[in-house]
Amino acid sequence: MLRRSISRPAQRLLMTKSHLETPFYGKVVQGSKFTPEYAQYLKLPNGEVGSYFHDIPLELNRTDNTVNMVVEVARWSNAKFEISRTRPFNPMVQDNKNGKVRFIDNVFPAHGFIHNYGAIPQTWEDPTVPSTHEGVEGIKGDNDPLDCCEIGSAVLSMGDVKRVKILGSLAMIDQGELDWKILVIDTKDPLAPQVHNLNDVETHFPKVLESTRSWFRNYKIPTGKPANEFAFSGQYRGISETLSVIEECHESWRKLLRELEGNESVPQTKRAGAGVVYESQELPDAPIPPEIGKWHYIK
Amino acid sequence: MGYTARQIGAKNSLDYKVFIEKDGQPISSFHDIPLYADEANQIFNMVVEIPRWTNAKLEISKEETLNPIIQDTKKGKLRFVRNCFPHHGYIHNYGAFPQTWEDPSSVHPETKAAGDNDPLDVLEIGETIGYTGQVKQVKVLGVMALLDEGETDWKIIVIDINDPLAAKLNDIEDVEKYFPGLLRATNEWFRIYKIPDGKPENQFAFSGEAKNKKYALDVIRECSEAWKNLIQGKAADAKDIELTNTTLSGTSTFSAAAAQAVPAGEAKEDAPIDKSIDKWFFISGSA
Repeated sequence: MLRRSISRPAQRLLMTKSHLETPFYGKVVQGSKFTPEYAQYLKLPNGEVGSYFHDIPLELNRTDNTVNMVVEVARWSNAKFEISRTRPFNPMVQDNKNGKVRFIDNVFPAHGFIHNYGAIPQTWEDPTVPSTHEGVEGIKGDNDPLDCCEIGSAVLSMGDVKRVKILGSLAMIDQGELDWKILVIDTKDPLAPQVHNLNDVETHFPKVLESTRSWFRNYKIPTGKPANEFAFSGQYRGISETLSVIEECHESWRKLLRELEGNESVPQTKRAGAGVVYESQELPDAPIPPEIGKWHYIK
Repeated sequence: MGYTARQIGAKNSLDYKVFIEKDGQPISSFHDIPLYADEANQIFNMVVEIPRWTNAKLEISKEETLNPIIQDTKKGKLRFVRNCFPHHGYIHNYGAFPQTWEDPSSVHPETKAAGDNDPLDVLEIGETIGYTGQVKQVKVLGVMALLDEGETDWKIIVIDINDPLAAKLNDIEDVEKYFPGLLRATNEWFRIYKIPDGKPENQFAFSGEAKNKKYALDVIRECSEAWKNLIQGKAADAKDIELTNTTLSGTSTFSAAAAQAVPAGEAKEDAPIDKSIDKWFFISGSA
């Protein structure tokens, strides 16, 4: 009896710990990766399907500047996976144009994405009203969750939910739409305890700030599109302003759920709660076309 | 050309070997593939060892019979090059010219350093990612002289003749024109790539400048002559290089039967690469 009464709370403690350290969220995969039919859904701990957009909490902490991030694209890969705006439960899908899945081009000296790229859940860059944020007033949002760029040393995987530290941001203007890029580092990265702000990024990751800006400026040029532009003359914004941007976009997200549900020009708001369960129907990956290996040189 | 690759063992494992086959028969990747694919038009055969954007240090074995491509090891552990920002793995299709040898007993008059005892290294810059054991036909554009831990280690710069830009690239200055920044990145890559392993920065001869096509062709000719001496048993020191071949009937190491000893190929799934290889190293003063 004594043995059991000691071991039970200890066991419970162990379970709590492993619960924090192992992936809390699961996934349900349907179709072949690199085809328009592919979808990866969020599976909540209770087994029901959830939305990467709406069912992962923001959990913005203004004391240690941390927030949750959902990984969409692994560093050094090209397939443009993103949280679907249009499909119920907002699964990860590969962006496609007229049924052709989209891969971003390699712009020398970069190979694919140079960060682990993803989104901040429960945020939305509102396309319905002009921004009131100082410096980008009057510009409408791109209708997506806030984008973020994780700079840690590990290559992360699609669907990973990471606790990340906010370091700063860039206000990109993509064909007239506001598209903030929030720079973050995984709190589990070995360097995270030493990196708190943009100066620390320059110290520990020299040239990453400059490379990030030129990457976003140039990455669509090989497809014939113009260079992207930035507000604030391309200057990075610091942490307190970035925290405000996240809060503003969280407010916009709340408005989306409260007032804009069912509006066809804004994202799907269907989320967990009704106990819907999806079965996995994963198929083998489709081949990546060899032309994706090309390196493009911008003169 | 009829060249194919025969894989044995899983990639990223100690068992991994890639033999090159001609018409289905294993041959030596070092000795049995002619250096020239078309001598009149100066088109060369290149053996691809390492595909662009990968990290495993794969190379033609000097010790194993028929010189399969294997992964270099250090203290029994597989060797991977580290990623030095902004680069990911190797930035070219990296490989070697068959039937060439950088003779370690010969000191080059201009670099003042001895050869590194390997086949000549080749950097292929075309847009298509190659594969281990591929035999590509390439044209020569120039050369850089790396001094790697004191040895001359020429890096011949080439492009696949089937690349869409191949017709426009004829000499070293065309590389900067069509691949702006690549030569500078190549120079930086080779200078810093061993720094994460605690080694000093490598140096280049000629102040890091790339020499032109004519210079490169001279280097290739010298290394071709050195290999001819090697295969004929005339080298001052053959360094225990495995010289078995299946096509050079005039050599004492010719053995048509050697191919029969090579195991059948097997399509094994790649072994996982340790996560630590994903790390990006930031070398201050680079890029």
